Amino acid sequence: MEQSGTSALLQGAVQDLSSDVVSALRGGDHVRVSGGAAVDGPESSIAVAAVRVIGADLLLPHVLSRTPPAPEALGLFRQTVEAYPPRADAAPTVVWSHWAMSRTLHRLDAPRSGSPADEPGAEPDAGWLDGTTWQFLTHQLAVLAPLAVPGEDCVVARAARRRPVDVARGFVRAVRRRDWQQAAGAGRWLTLLDGVPDTLGLESGLDFVELMGGSDPRVALQVEAARALRWAGALV
Amino acid sequence: MTAVDVRAIREVEVAALAWVSAHRGDFALGDDAFTADGHVDLTWKPLGELAQTCASVRRHTVPSDPLHACVSDLLGFAWQQTGRGELFLRLQRLEPFATYPLEVYSVFAGAGLRHAGYEAAAATVARTRGWRLAEQEPTRRLGILGAERRSGIHRPERAEQALRRTWLGGLPEPWAFERSAGYALTHVVFHLTDWGRTARGVPADLAAYLADWLPPWLDTCLDAGMWDLGCELLIVATSLPRPPDPALLQEAWTRIARAQHDSGALRVQDPDPGQYAGTDPEPDFLPCYHSTLMAAYAAALTVERLTGGLDENGLDENGRGGRGRHADDLQNRYGGQGVPG
Repeated sequence: MEQSGTSALLQGAVQDLSSDVVSALRGGDHVRVSGGAAVDGPESSIAVAAVRVIGADLLLPHVLSRTPPAPEALGLFRQTVEAYPPRADAAPTVVWSHWAMSRTLHRLDAPRSGSPADEPGAEPDAGWLDGTTWQFLTHQLAVLAPLAVPGEDCVVARAARRRPVDVARGFVRAVRRRDWQQAAGAGRWLTLLDGVPDTLGLESGLDFVELMGGSDPRVALQVEAARALRWAGALV
Repeated sequence: MTAVDVRAIREVEVAALAWVSAHRGDFALGDDAFTADGHVDLTWKPLGELAQTCASVRRHTVPSDPLHACVSDLLGFAWQQTGRGELFLRLQRLEPFATYPLEVYSVFAGAGLRHAGYEAAAATVARTRGWRLAEQEPTRRLGILGAERRSGIHRPERAEQALRRTWLGGLPEPWAFERSAGYALTHVVFHLTDWGRTARGVPADLAAYLADWLPPWLDTCLDAGMWDLGCELLIVATSLPRPPDPALLQEAWTRIARAQHDSGALRVQDPDPGQYAGTDPEPDFLPCYHSTLMAAYAAALTVERLTGGLDENGLDENGRGGRGRHADDLQNRYGGQGVPG
């Protein structure tokens, strides 16, 4: 019972934080870390776990607008990066998610404190995506949607750029399976890729994903991120 | 590059046609086929589909192949059921403006089985404004135009107009695909290719669109246990100017083979998608005849496309499945083929 209670708390915290990011993306505002997320105590550990789930996207509005995050949000973000170094046997998506957070922290922390966060390590290995099926590729990319940001040139982004039709197929599959989270993440990548077939109808596709799955803030976050990337007019 | 197990696909075809042969009596027309309010879906439709599948499989197998003789025999059986075409006249007197008699007849006509008296009678009705103005959904319209053509009836209306009013012809967002759209689009391609006879009938923009989006449609239909639509999509995939991806074929056929019953029957739809298919009780005729026919048809096309044909034992000169003509080589054969845009 305790575990399921914790799990529900974590889920709620992830949703709250996702809503905070969505609000900031829509309003051009700071990411406000709502609720008790920024305080010490048991709620803090839930908050750190929630930030780990959301990953680098917690600070996406600031990456896109090139504005400094509020100290509470940055502090929570740093705390999470430090609390969860990936284990040696961690899945590639976990390793990459942590790498993306470290890099974001390095970018946003350096100008403020004058003592920049540790340099993110070298890019992790991306061999696990080589020659993989379009279904698996899309799933993994959707999990790593925080890497879909303008100017990103890591090997994961390059793997996505090499296979725009496959990612588009994955988007179609995800919509057909009513997997809105995956569809939204794939859709976000697609806004950055050249060579996506026009017939996909990406813009109306993202609207559809939002209509069907947008009541989940994590889906809304990805749809809103995709729009923000598109408006930025940026190419990877 | 994924290797495709041609022999396993051939086994699906052999088993499916064994089931069809064992159930040929269920395709026979009863008295209810000749009443004005008859249940066409339970009478003429199964018979027409049997004839279409057999005509198509016959075209895609070499005469020395036992399956060629098998489907020729079944086609002859179906033609006998129509009184060698005579009963289409009886049907026309019951419902002169109904289109299904001509649609079914045209399957036989396309296979060279013709009845001059019925063709003359059908042409008489088809000359009327009433026949030509009958309202039909665009996909059906395409089918009727094809049926007329095969039956020697020519009207000025161009198929291109009907095509562009279909779901597929309008190039819709591929994520909007649902079951009913799926059936419509597969039939549009059947009509455009004259049931797999020629890839040249598919305009270039449609061929490119289908090549892009068939993989996720096929994948999700098979996930959902929609075996008949999955087989229809495989027919489409193997009817296009460019050959399908070997990995797509291998994955799809592995799943279909697993869902097929030992008898050769393949359900239209899994009662419980995601569970291990093919282990549920043997289905009755109606929930599986269509899917089983489509499996045989899709398998025949796939095998031919991958190998350029097999000998009667399904073996190549080295004793292996297929003649060793690699799927990639087919790119040269089909890839540069011009298609009208």
